Amino acid sequence: MSVGIRGSPQGNVRSANVVFIIRACYIFLNGFSFVQENYMKVAISAEGTTLEAPVSRRFGISPYLIIVDLDTGELEAVRNPGSSGKRGAGVEAIVLVISKGVDAVVTGYSSPTTRKHLESNGVDVFTGVSGTIEEVLEGYKKGEIQKTQEFRSDVLDRWSFLRAGTITNAFKNSGNQFATMLPILFSVVLLMGLFNALVPGELLASLFSGSAIFDTLWGACLGSIIAGNPVNSYVIGGELLKQGVSLFAVTALIITWVTVGLVQLPAEMAALGRRFALVRNAICFILAVPIALMAVVILNAVTG
Amino acid sequence: MSRGIGQETKGRRSFKPIGLFLASVAVLYGTMYAFAPDTALVALKASAKISLALCLPLALVFSVMFLLNLFVRPAQIARVFSRNAGLKGMLLSAAAGIISMGPIFAWYPLMKKMKEEGAGEGPIAVFLYNRAVKPFLLPVMIAYFGWAYVAIVTILTILGSIVLGYSMSVISRD
Repeated sequence: MSVGIRGSPQGNVRSANVVFIIRACYIFLNGFSFVQENYMKVAISAEGTTLEAPVSRRFGISPYLIIVDLDTGELEAVRNPGSSGKRGAGVEAIVLVISKGVDAVVTGYSSPTTRKHLESNGVDVFTGVSGTIEEVLEGYKKGEIQKTQEFRSDVLDRWSFLRAGTITNAFKNSGNQFATMLPILFSVVLLMGLFNALVPGELLASLFSGSAIFDTLWGACLGSIIAGNPVNSYVIGGELLKQGVSLFAVTALIITWVTVGLVQLPAEMAALGRRFALVRNAICFILAVPIALMAVVILNAVTG
Repeated sequence: MSRGIGQETKGRRSFKPIGLFLASVAVLYGTMYAFAPDTALVALKASAKISLALCLPLALVFSVMFLLNLFVRPAQIARVFSRNAGLKGMLLSAAAGIISMGPIFAWYPLMKKMKEEGAGEGPIAVFLYNRAVKPFLLPVMIAYFGWAYVAIVTILTILGSIVLGYSMSVISRD
């Protein structure tokens, strides 16, 4: 059994944590066999990080979320990213709960929208709860806390994608994504038309030696410059293939087009760290070569 | 209603680079037409031929995109994504990468958050690598390269992502 506490901002929170751990052990030893409906992880909105802290009335903007793993007895107090109360706070709390793999949320109140999003992602919601965290856990243990009835129709959940709003929204999203993709794709098509008209096959043949390794490396280098939408690499690769460029080079270009991106390297370094971005891009470049070689060899073996 | 991650950045997304790219291509064609009108017409005809060949695959692309938007929500992708650097975690992260949509930079904040919360570098790298496998774009790929090639490249890409994931885990000592 392990107990972990994170996100405690106060300096004196260490002593509270010790009490928290002892109480957690107590609750765990007194039976976390009360698993209702096989929930493994429960998140409780809380005003503080200890078991004596009262349950926060509103899930989305509660200062903390106490996450209890019913399997291991592990308790974790995390600061709710939505506690600022600013616009979109509920969404941040929802993302946190889902990313933590929580199965059920216990809180005083949750807005219908928040509840709907949680339940559509498989997280059950228990509302109308008050008292301290410890009392709530005890109540939960005795089965005194009931699931919120609204939006809990299994039939509605199962067929929710048939609702007009959901379909319209999916259609709009697809339209937006498609509209974002089209201008660049259209430009690439126009460029390939120009390329076909201007670049003679002999020139391409001089760039690509016919050696599988050299062509693959050359294709990987071309594909590594930009990390863009894969569809553009299919059009470019397909047209290059028609011009006589080897499939080794085209395959390496397609693979590195998405997996390696020199242009986007600064953004990746800023988000995920310099070492991560450099190592990942280097390994992806190296991997592209054997993958491209193997793909063409296997294809030739399969198709004869 | 849920929105695709790609749309979350819509307000901040700059259309200038896309417009600039299109304008540059138009200028190229204009210049070409001024100096060699016949070649410009040949280029336009070639582009029209490519566009025609893309019509049916793109209609299929939109259909698959619609179905994914109908059934898959960004929050579900975050749920599928695994912090675990074991094989199961790698495979779950690969699945999350495959079903994710939108530009790659829109996913950096979520990956950053996952990393801060303890996700291993392996699963993150696997997620990013598998963005190369896009089910909704397969119609275009198949139209150009055929079923057999697409199946082989897709399988090898997924296997390659697992190799990448383990390499990243070893290097970062996850």
